[in-house]
Amino acid sequence: MSDSKERLAESVSALMDGETSEIELHRILKEVGIDQDQQIDSSDSVRGIWQRYHMVAASLAGEPVDKIDLSASIAAAIDAEDAHRQNPVTRFASSAGRFAIAASVAMVAVLGVQQLNSPDPVSTDALQFAEMDIDASQQNTGPALQFPAGFQPNAPVRTVSAGGSVKTSQPPVSLVEVRPVNSMNFSEKQLRGYMDDIMLRHSNNAALNSNRGMLPFARITKSEAASSQE
Amino acid sequence: MTVNHWCKNLKLAAFIAAIFAHGPLVAEQIKSAYDLVRGTAKAAKELNYRGVFTYEFRGTLRSIKVVHLVRDGQTYEHIVHMDGDGHEIVRRGDDVGCTRPAEMLLLGTDFTADSSPRLDDLYSFYIRGNARIAGRMAYMVEIRPKDKLRYGYVVAIDKLNGLMLQSMLISQSGKPLERFQYVDISFPGELDNIQLPEQLVNSQQAPGCLESYEAADASVSKWQPTWLPSGFVLSDIKIDSSTGDESWIYTDGLALFSVFIDSAEKSRRFPPVDAKLGTTVAVLSKVTVADQHYAICVVGEIPDATARQIAASISPLASTIEGAVQAIK
Repeated sequence: MSDSKERLAESVSALMDGETSEIELHRILKEVGIDQDQQIDSSDSVRGIWQRYHMVAASLAGEPVDKIDLSASIAAAIDAEDAHRQNPVTRFASSAGRFAIAASVAMVAVLGVQQLNSPDPVSTDALQFAEMDIDASQQNTGPALQFPAGFQPNAPVRTVSAGGSVKTSQPPVSLVEVRPVNSMNFSEKQLRGYMDDIMLRHSNNAALNSNRGMLPFARITKSEAASSQE
Repeated sequence: MTVNHWCKNLKLAAFIAAIFAHGPLVAEQIKSAYDLVRGTAKAAKELNYRGVFTYEFRGTLRSIKVVHLVRDGQTYEHIVHMDGDGHEIVRRGDDVGCTRPAEMLLLGTDFTADSSPRLDDLYSFYIRGNARIAGRMAYMVEIRPKDKLRYGYVVAIDKLNGLMLQSMLISQSGKPLERFQYVDISFPGELDNIQLPEQLVNSQQAPGCLESYEAADASVSKWQPTWLPSGFVLSDIKIDSSTGDESWIYTDGLALFSVFIDSAEKSRRFPPVDAKLGTTVAVLSKVTVADQHYAICVVGEIPDATARQIAASISPLASTIEGAVQAIK
């Protein structure tokens, strides 16, 4: 047996155990085609090796060994069968349905991602203010008990990529809600800075006056404190 | 036969007697949920420990390393944020003997008037089983508010030394809003004798401890809240003598909010606004007294509606209005 045949036999053995790589499998199938083209039907052909190995395996397992080859008759039966045809109307309808589902998924993705990322990512380092909407604050705040740290129940939305640089892993950030807008003679940055300063003063109060241990120190970090110095 | 029977009965009686005799002993060992919570303030102050805890809110996680030392009746704290900018706090805290109003309220000591509600009138305390937090066995305690004016808590309290190992703030709808939890903590004996780092020794002393509740005197203020959620008392008040800006701190023993009254020019431009950072809400409202603008800001870990109601109730005293009018004339 030549070197290449030996390696082929090894591959066939691996295929029997379901341990071939895809490249190996393609090589085996290609060999089968070559064998057929050259009308080789000996024990040296891939089919021959395949049959022999199965006989060995069967005899080792103590099963009855038959040399009945059904493959030719099965192939002939498949050839003789009519090809399945589809009604053009139903074919169109099913593909349209698929399209509709795909479109709605895209819609949800776009909406969901926009909610997560609004407003612009630039302000994420400034501060994480949330709207004072009671519903929103009840819905998306806080860790869910049953989820490990950092995971949120609305994870499927996150898996949709919204394009390159947008960081979907950023915590949801929303704007300071301004109730009556009388005159815009202030910048949002100034307002954030002012509110930030207030929060920091409160956390200093909390550290001194509460008996919650180390907890007040965790709530406000330096980046938030620094932005108030501007 | 009769003797044998009598013996059996005697054994049974002895067994029952043993159970009854041990009953009170067992009951003494198991503290009530309220007592466990009361013990956390003392434990946090008096223990030497170092550890790492995490703080989680709205899908954000922070990890923070702490060392807490007690030396010569003083507490020293070194707190380092382990991620982000590495923010560091070095602090010399209160004297161990110092008891602030929040702790008095928590302990239920009698500085408050008899009519004012105690902590167990405001919250219900339940032991909800055991847990293992940071490798230590703990009691899980649920603290449920009896009204809708404040949040609830779920805390884990160390079985051996009473330190709070975990605390979750729970909204009215039962959802956790934030979670504070030690992942690693140790109470090594070497901390008792360790040389204090220079930066701790030289750290700034926390502002003086109040001798009594009366020291937080509300009469110096020119403003007053006409409504407060029940059980909240004034813990501290600061008035800037040059600007007249005021800062109040109220607590019910667990929750805490601040009120800032500010007449500065910079705040004048801002409209009334609501903001939220994590679990801390801030409600900014505007009041004009005789052409003088004031910004009133209520900040705290309290429900939004409560903060709005407090902010809306803060009004100037009659004398303040008169004074302002006089000044204009």
